[in-house]
Amino acid sequence: MNVIARAPAPSVTVSGGASGPPTPPASVPLTFFAAAGAGGVAFGVALLLSSSDAVISPFLPQVLATAHFGVLAFLTVAVLGALHQFAPVAAGRPLRSVVAARITAGVLVPAVWVLAIAFAAGRPGIVAPAGLAAFVAMCLAAWNLSGPLSARGGGVPVIGLRWATGLLLVTASMGVLYAFDLREGWFALLPRAVAAHAHLGLIGWLGVAYMSVAEKLWPMFLLSHRKRNRSGKLAVCLTPIGAVILAAGLLGSVAGLMFLGAGVVAIGLGAHLTSLVAVIRHRMRGLELLHAFVIASAAFLIVAVIVGTIAASSSDPATRLRLVSAEVMALICWLVLALLGHAHKVVPFIAWTALKTRGALPTGGPPVLFSHLYDRRTAQVTFGLVLVGACLAVGGLLASQGAVVGAGGLAVALATLITAVNLTLHPLALLRSQPAIEGRTA
Amino acid sequence: MASTVERARRALRTVLDPELGIDIVALGLIYDIREDDGRLVVEMTLTTPGCPVSQSLPQEAARALDLELPADESRDAQVRVVWDPPWTPERMEPGAMDALMHGRRG
Repeated sequence: MNVIARAPAPSVTVSGGASGPPTPPASVPLTFFAAAGAGGVAFGVALLLSSSDAVISPFLPQVLATAHFGVLAFLTVAVLGALHQFAPVAAGRPLRSVVAARITAGVLVPAVWVLAIAFAAGRPGIVAPAGLAAFVAMCLAAWNLSGPLSARGGGVPVIGLRWATGLLLVTASMGVLYAFDLREGWFALLPRAVAAHAHLGLIGWLGVAYMSVAEKLWPMFLLSHRKRNRSGKLAVCLTPIGAVILAAGLLGSVAGLMFLGAGVVAIGLGAHLTSLVAVIRHRMRGLELLHAFVIASAAFLIVAVIVGTIAASSSDPATRLRLVSAEVMALICWLVLALLGHAHKVVPFIAWTALKTRGALPTGGPPVLFSHLYDRRTAQVTFGLVLVGACLAVGGLLASQGAVVGAGGLAVALATLITAVNLTLHPLALLRSQPAIEGRTA
Repeated sequence: MASTVERARRALRTVLDPELGIDIVALGLIYDIREDDGRLVVEMTLTTPGCPVSQSLPQEAARALDLELPADESRDAQVRVVWDPPWTPERMEPGAMDALMHGRRG
């Protein structure tokens, strides 16, 4: 085995603002991301298995399990992983505790899996404590993130993340209440109450978190410098306010509040899309695969708004239920496409930094760039698969075709699995080919 | 024989931004290379505060100078990271801008 000396520290000194905000060790976000990958595959498989139920009612146990695999085990775990990495960067202040971040992942991931499986097995007695454990983990995450998010400045991303984190706790509280109600039967869990929970979680928590991160990442990736970002600020402020009003209207069955909330959400989401268009217009860099994911994702957001509007104006309960199911699936697809697209940028960056720190990047030959840490053609295939899967899932629900929904689930599962493998193989290969470093066991 | 400043610039051209694949001189991240009382000073910036390579890129620049310059010239050399004026894409060399817009990498 080769034994080489680690390159000596340069005698040239570095000063100024180069130290950067202390981000947690790479293992923190990567643990969340790895678990989210498994959650994404489980979501797709669960959608395949529950597809015939999904076109009958969104309240059947298998369908509830699928929804919780998607929203908790996949999206929430991934977004929380991203925020543990991103919030310190955006705010310039570290997490309160790296240990707490590890505990969050260690409690949250098994809790949400148990919760989803308990739904599928029709075991409300297990759903409630699993939900409570997940809620505790989310509270811990919120406390940890409050360190960076209480910093002054940080701009639009930090404003949005404060909202998102707050609404994560509100959504999780509702979820725990509903979970215990399933067991204790305190009140009738009406479809409107479930819709309030779903919209608050998908738009107020996950959607606003994604928008907030995107407001920092999009201009950075496209070298798009704008003097002002009014649309981004509007998006991260109006969307959560609208989501809260919409949820309150749904909970109280107050049509006026519902429509007001939906209107404010629509303006917020419109501002988000305007911001995307502005970033693309001001770009100093060519578009790449990420933007195919982002633009396709935005298309599903538009579909969700249109289908949701039609659902709200429908007088037939069965039609309304079908449309709301499709709207919720379109919102999930909005986030799934965005998440898989951004994973191809964020995971290689974190992996590259970790490899660099370990001295695992080759020093001779052409330099290793972030984009060398995954296979581009495979990523293109992934994009095609997830796009087809999303179209089938939403289209199948709209047309009440279980087989089509199932095919969509299969495509999403495959796309997530391929993404996880693609983003893992290259960094692992570099790590394995790393020569032993002097001072370590050779 | 090339001056210290010229050799430093040449060395910095070997440092690539790992996201963009373009060297830091062509990206316009090097604001100044000068000798102050016989000591080499490099002032550089990053494309945005909190950018992914905010910690590693200045270190890479320092390492490149260290490799290129003789020990007596690099010993007291300094890479200073500055944020004022903020970097804008207009600072890029035309070739770099063209490469980025058309997806070509250095």
